[in-house]
This record gives sequence, structure tokens and C-alpha cells, in this order.
Amino acid sequence: MNIAGMGVVFTRGRGAAALEQALEQGWVAPGTVAVPAGSAPAYVVAPETLADKTVLAKARRADRFTRMAVLAAADALQDSGLAGRLDTSRLGTIVATALGPHTTTFGFLDGILEFGDAGVSPTAFSHSVHNAAASYIAMTLDVRGPTLTVTHFHFAFHQALLLADAWLAEGRCDHVLVGTVDEVGAVMAYASGRLCRTPADGRIKPLAFATAPEAVPGEGSVFFLVSRGEGAGYGRVAGAQLTAVPEPAPEGAVHLLDADGLSHDESGYRAVAREGLPVASYAPLCGSLMTISAFHAAVAALMLRRGRRYAVPVPDGAGDLQVCHESGPAEIRHVFCTRLDCAGNRVTLHLAR
Amino acid sequence: MQGQDREQELVKIRAKLKELLVSNLNMEGVTPDQIKDDDALFGEGLGLDSLDAVEIVVILQRNFSVEVKDMEKGREIFRSINTLATYVYETQQAKK
Repeated sequence: MNIAGMGVVFTRGRGAAALEQALEQGWVAPGTVAVPAGSAPAYVVAPETLADKTVLAKARRADRFTRMAVLAAADALQDSGLAGRLDTSRLGTIVATALGPHTTTFGFLDGILEFGDAGVSPTAFSHSVHNAAASYIAMTLDVRGPTLTVTHFHFAFHQALLLADAWLAEGRCDHVLVGTVDEVGAVMAYASGRLCRTPADGRIKPLAFATAPEAVPGEGSVFFLVSRGEGAGYGRVAGAQLTAVPEPAPEGAVHLLDADGLSHDESGYRAVAREGLPVASYAPLCGSLMTISAFHAAVAALMLRRGRRYAVPVPDGAGDLQVCHESGPAEIRHVFCTRLDCAGNRVTLHLAR
Repeated sequence: MQGQDREQELVKIRAKLKELLVSNLNMEGVTPDQIKDDDALFGEGLGLDSLDAVEIVVILQRNFSVEVKDMEKGREIFRSINTLATYVYETQQAKK
């Protein structure tokens, strides 16, 4: 499955160029989000990042969750160079999310509590469902192929990739826009603050492999245009399976770990990190995010495209592991991205040149 | 004197309606003071559509305790800020 285009919306901006710039610049302190007790640190997407009256011309009513997804999907299509040349009846869309548009969902529920079921906003209702973003993407980009939303707490992106591969394999589509979106709202920030430890300086330390890690919630959307045919500008997805990195690891491999502080115990990531295989995690650039796997896949795609490795933004605690400390040219041929869930289940995504 | 009270009350209702429409209908790039009292809300005017009409019904209910049950009558009520404000005022007065 070839990656022909990529779109990214995250706290540092929009587009592959913004991601590359963030990777080169390194960590910056997070912003804040309002919570009942005041404010909490969060890697939020700036309103100006979502201000696009061209792409979002038909999305006046869309909430932030949907806006992030539409912009990332539109950018992936544009980035592929195939916009306007694709048969959109053969273009599918798969949106993966862990928590859906929960800000709108809770707003809708608050409306029922406050005004009764007859006094609740119909717009809030229609946007509170997880499939709203996929509908907007289809409408905005004139996608006429199959459209689906996948919700999974830990492995949403991997499930979506497997489905995209199946659609391409059975000839249902020629191309698929596949990606993730998740948002930070007051509820998410409150829950994160209650369930996870929050670092005083806002720095997530993914390579500390802590048994009680620290999290700072993040948000964003990452989309890829994938196909079996043309366009391998960012390499290819060679596998997304319940596997480990092969032993021995192939030449020119890098291992990205999806540790971001949201698990109760991240020591399992230390166990899957292989001696002698460079490891990295870029969670401090996007925040703690249940769909961080897609963000890491975007970093992996950039590594493969540019032939470049990027310094980890927060190397604290990596110990004797071989960590990417400096950015620079590198002969990268394979990138493995491993994600663990709270029960220790593991999925390793393999991107190759 | 009664006419003055009515006009003062209508001014307040119009101002509140404009704020509510801008914020609740995500009217990007439009500020409340840019909406004229007689501007058509739908079609060529402010460009609102039938989904916005349903949202306005909820706005009236939530903020003014005013219901619009007859959508045929709603066509006239929803024509402009002026017609909306007048309907709100008269309905509230009738309840007193």
C-alpha cells in the first residue's frame, strides 16, 4: 500500500512542512485549555490553523473536530498531486478516532440536561456523532466511494489501515483517504488531569518508560492518501500486524515508540525497544493522544521521504538505548512504529521505502 | 409612554437576537452590528438556510421561552431581525 500524500493538523500548524519544521525545531511548551478549575496544559490546535475559508467553505457548522479532519484529508489529497485527476467514485474515506467529537457530544448532553430534549440544538445533535467528520470530508472533497468511521480506543489507526488495505485488495477502491482525528476539550483535559500525572513543565517524557508516566493531552488529525498504484512519495505501508520488529532488524531501520503518558504503565515500551536499533518518540511535539500512531506514521513517512532522522524532542530517561539525538541525513529504509495498549497487546506498523 | 417602552424593549431584543444568531449559527466573519434590522435572514440576505431555521426555533425557545410551532407562520416571523423581535415581544406580552 503506497502513501501518495499526507496531511497533518496539530498544535504546531498544518501540513507536512509544519510537521517537518516542528521536528527540526524540537519541543516547545504546550498551551492551555479551560477546565472547571481554571486551565490545564494541552497541546491544542490554534484557531488560525483551522481558519481556511476555501476548504471549509461548505463547513460553516462544522466543529473543531470535523474541521481538523477535513483540512488534513484535503491536504493529503492535495499533497498527492492527484487532486482533480482521481475518479472520486473509486476514492474511499476511512476516519479513525478514539474518542470522537466528545466536546460536541458533551455539549449536546449538557443541552438536554439544561433545556430538556425538546430544547436541544439540532446542529449539536447531528455533529455529536462520530461519523460527522467523514460526512464532511466526503462532501467537501466530493468523495463518492465508500466512507466509514472506525472507533477503537487503542488501535483505531491500525484498524483503519487494515481496512483500507482490504478495500484496495478487493478492488473496491483505487485510492483511500485514511486517517485519524481526536480533540482536546474540557472533559478530556479534566479526565487526563484526574487519571494521569501532569508534568509541571508540560514536557512528556516518552523515553522514560515510567510505571506512572506523565501526560499532557494533545489533539490533531493526520490523513494519508494510499493506493496500490501510483505515488509512493512517502514510502509504503508494509504491514500493520500484531507482531514485533523482525529479528534481526533490517538494515536502515528506526523504531518509533507510541509512548505518550496516557497508559498507566509504559515500562512495556522498554521491553520492546531493541538494543542497537535506534529508537525515538515524538509525542512531546503533538501531546498525549490515543491516535498518536498516525502522527508517528507521518513522522516515519517524512523520514523515508527525506532520508533524514530527527532528534527526539525530549530524550530524558532513555538510558543506554540508542536514541536519535541529532537531526541529519540518514539512510533510512524501514521505520517500525510500536503501540501497546494497557493490557500489553502490541501492534507494530511497518513503513518501508 | 407605552410606545416608548415597547420600542426600548424591541431594541434590547434585536441586539440579543443578533448576538445569538452570530454565535449559535457560526456566522463566520459577521459581527452582530453588521446585521441590519431589516436584512433578510435567508436566501440572498444573510444566507441562512432551513437548518438554521430549526436552530433559530431552539434559540427562541431557550432564550426567550417563545415557541414557534406553525412553520408556515414561521416564514413571516423569520424574515428579518425586526420580524423576529416583534414576534418575541408580542408573544411575551401575550403571556403576561
